[in-house]
Amino acid sequence: MNFEFTADQLELKNSAVRFAQKKLNGDIIARDKAGTFSKELWKACAEFGILSLPFSKSYGGSDCDIITTLLIMEGLGYGCKDSGLLFSINGQLWTVQMPIFHFGTPAQKTNYLSKLCSGEWIGANCMTEPSSGSDSFALSTTAKRDGDHYILNGSKTLITNAPIADLFLVFATIDKSKGFMGVTAFLVEKTFPGIIISKEIEKMGLKTSPMSEVIFEDCQVPLANRLGPEGNGATIFNEGIEWERSCMLASDVGVMERQLEECIKYAKIREQFKKPIGKFQAISHKIADMKVRLETARLILYKVAWLKQTQGRAGMEAAIAKLYLSESLIQSCLDAIQIHGGYGYTAEYEVERDLRDSISSTLYSGTSEIQKNIIAKYLGL
Amino acid sequence: MSPLTELTEYILREIAVEHGKESLESDENLLSQGLIDSMGILKLVSFIESNFGIKVDNEDIVPENFETLNDMSRFVEKKKNK
Ligand SMILES: Cc1cc2nc3c(=O)[nH]c(=O)nc-3n(C[C@H](O)[C@H](O)[C@H](O)COP(=O)(O)OP(=O)(O)OC[C@H]3O[C@@H](n4cnc5c(N)ncnc54)[C@H](O)[C@@H]3O)c2cc1C
Repeated sequence: MNFEFTADQLELKNSAVRFAQKKLNGDIIARDKAGTFSKELWKACAEFGILSLPFSKSYGGSDCDIITTLLIMEGLGYGCKDSGLLFSINGQLWTVQMPIFHFGTPAQKTNYLSKLCSGEWIGANCMTEPSSGSDSFALSTTAKRDGDHYILNGSKTLITNAPIADLFLVFATIDKSKGFMGVTAFLVEKTFPGIIISKEIEKMGLKTSPMSEVIFEDCQVPLANRLGPEGNGATIFNEGIEWERSCMLASDVGVMERQLEECIKYAKIREQFKKPIGKFQAISHKIADMKVRLETARLILYKVAWLKQTQGRAGMEAAIAKLYLSESLIQSCLDAIQIHGGYGYTAEYEVERDLRDSISSTLYSGTSEIQKNIIAKYLGL
Repeated sequence: MSPLTELTEYILREIAVEHGKESLESDENLLSQGLIDSMGILKLVSFIESNFGIKVDNEDIVPENFETLNDMSRFVEKKKNK
């Protein structure tokens, strides 16, 4: 077993750190307050190559292996304080681009994947509905074949990137009686007749990542825009979400490392009772716990990356990674605030934003409860 | 044992038991009853792959191949003969 990265891999990670620190942080406190998404920063990330990393060169990708991709994402998370931007990017990478890459026809990849890789277009994944969240395949949005089109009707909610997206990967049922195997995937352009993007949903954190409802009213989708065969949507969704669970939180491992370093620095300079607070065991143990969490999170992340790279399927390990990394991230943010005392609660010190940004990590891509259900199922329970 | 018998025994033992089923007809619709759900299919696919020595591609996971035991058996035979 070898835990080392090559010099080239580490240089790629470091270049992502430098890029993020130089280009992505700017006026983040103000942008967070105003809830502003920056297309300019999105483009900068695309130009740096983030949106194309794991995809084939034939479609504008970089053919980067998944372990190196995650190392770069970790570096990006370490350097970039705009977690909303990274959340939007991750959402697109794993649950829009990856399904098109794996299930798309050559024409779909040429038309859509290339535009998503270059940053020209933005993508959104539309699964959740007002009455189906965790039980995602109980969805009600329908797709009916009508000549050379499908007609979609229904509504989706909590959709990341919807207000800024050009392309929507939409899951709808063609036949409710077939259960989850009635679910079919469609690539819907924002200009197709009958797609309505409703007003933005305000959130607790990830404020620079826009979200809204998406409504389909007799939305016409050409047959050529079905992704995969009829009834294959659940498999497509599961595959995308497994990638998301495995990879999305790589950037948050970088966030945890940055927090740890900031906490160590603060614990050394902040004095109370004539001592640096790091000399109080209550504080130093918190920091030790942060380090243990960071190291274990990193091991789990690269184990799942290795499994995805070598074996393809990693359903249980992806659930473990998602569960452990998200819970660790939230705890790390809470610890960081506690270590910073009252200042940790202020916007200026920036750790409160990390906490607000982290909370949803145990909700999206399957809640922590659902990850535990999945793990238990794999254990035969 | 034929694929049909092996599949019937496996589904009864590992999947249908949770739904209180003690027997299954070969043309019974397993999807509409929710006997096979999105987690159950993952278990079933890995059983089919290891037991029959075939590779089930993601594109194969469609109702035509998994709606009934007969469909599954036909699918396994087709893959084995490829
Ligand atoms: C920031 C953010 C971004 C998102 N982006 C997208 C997106 O881009 N596209 C998209 O389609 N969706 C998106 N979602 C929606 C997300 O996938 C759902 O919120 C999530 O799946 C949970 O569904 P729900 O909110 O309806 O909660 P519910 O399913 O109603 O769950 C409520 C509570 O019940 C628990 N629960 C439910 N079922 C079980 C069970 N079987 N066992 C134990 N506990 C259970 C849950 O864990 C939770 O605690 C996003 C959500 C957030 C917060």
